Amino acid sequence: MVLLIDTTTEHIGTTIEDELLRSGKHAAGFERIDTTGMRISHCVGCNDCWLKTPGVCAIRDDYEPVLRKMSAADQVWLISDTHFGFVSWQTKNIVDRVMPIVTMYLKFKDGQMRHVMRYDHQPDIGIIYTGDGDQAYLERWCQRTALNLGSRSLGVFSERRGKEAVSCML
Amino acid sequence: MHVVIINGSPRVQKYSNTEKIIAAFAKGLSEKDVTFETYAVSNRSTWDRIRDAYLKNDEILIALPLYVECVPGLLLEFLETLPRKDEQTRLSFILQSGFAEGCQLRCGEAFLEKLPEYLGVRYGGCLVKGDNFGIRLLEEEKQAQATKPYQAMGRLFAEGDGFFREEAEKFTGPESFSLPMRLLMGLIFKTLARKMFQKAAASWGCRVPLDEKVWETGR
Ligand SMILES: Cc1cc2nc3c(=O)[nH]c(=O)nc-3n(C[C@H](O)[C@H](O)[C@H](O)COP(=O)(O)O)c2cc1C
Repeated sequence: MVLLIDTTTEHIGTTIEDELLRSGKHAAGFERIDTTGMRISHCVGCNDCWLKTPGVCAIRDDYEPVLRKMSAADQVWLISDTHFGFVSWQTKNIVDRVMPIVTMYLKFKDGQMRHVMRYDHQPDIGIIYTGDGDQAYLERWCQRTALNLGSRSLGVFSERRGKEAVSCML
Repeated sequence: MHVVIINGSPRVQKYSNTEKIIAAFAKGLSEKDVTFETYAVSNRSTWDRIRDAYLKNDEILIALPLYVECVPGLLLEFLETLPRKDEQTRLSFILQSGFAEGCQLRCGEAFLEKLPEYLGVRYGGCLVKGDNFGIRLLEEEKQAQATKPYQAMGRLFAEGDGFFREEAEKFTGPESFSLPMRLLMGLIFKTLARKMFQKAAASWGCRVPLDEKVWETGR
């Protein structure tokens, strides 16, 4: 399953969805979430999802259904505006809040410390961005983020290369 | 020198590791007669005051926890509200994290290195240090002990070269652990550490395994 999470002000996820439908590559199923109007807080670092109520976030807003879908998806595509060459705070909040699917337990993987994931299946992560994104930095960050989730980066694509991104979708 | 210190952690100040690190660092500044004022972005109602201090001063230090390989979403949101300033202003960072090895913080550091340019200001360097996750779980006295090394970094910063001096670079410690060390730590992670975490959790009122699968994933 492919999950598109669109936080952009221009809702470019709709264009990506159109492209995906046109390509006929949506057999495995996909869903697009547009976060406009959703209440999604930032992570407050309370650690409850690790130490008090393992796997459950203390913040009761619109995020949990999104995380459940992320956890089950094969691919998560973050569709984001950019600032400082990086993803927007709206997209970063969605990524910061993934801690419930991570456990506090530690291990070494490829020579570096990592947390043990809570579930057996992990989604791969890709980025589609608008504006003046720092392509090289976004690629580096996406790879590092995927590493922390025990998955892989699907790559980083500017909005203009939306077709290419779609060709990487399942 | 007068430094505006901003705690970039989303965690409430009382429990913030960054807050304790700032306290130790500021002690070092005071020893060298450098004055400072502190703010915290976790308290949204103070954002106007922080922005004001940022605009009126030219020595700014943001101390922050690494959040998923970069700056926390909340700090990003605050940064987007800052107007462009000029080269008179110097912006430095303390980047601290949970994982212990220096290599874990380099992706976050790379973002901070470029950030001042986007804001139109000068980069004053970035102090990088991992292994801070547990500070909040320690008793007060042990917290002071754990953060003491930052005091020396405060004294160093007071000398005016930001974090570009060799001592600041060395402060990070090892970039990664040797294989024997990893094997040993790996063993501890699987045994002692799990017990310790579970015990900490019990004191938080947790009665279930920390790796419990709470959602039926169907996979
Ligand atoms: C949402 C979230 C994401 C984090 N991401 C990382 C990370 O990518 N790498 C790391 O080493 N530590 C990470 N940490 C650990 C924090 O950087 C560390 O616990 C820090 O000391 C917290 O400081 P604070 O109490 O001032 O917020 C993360 C913590 C949270 C809550």
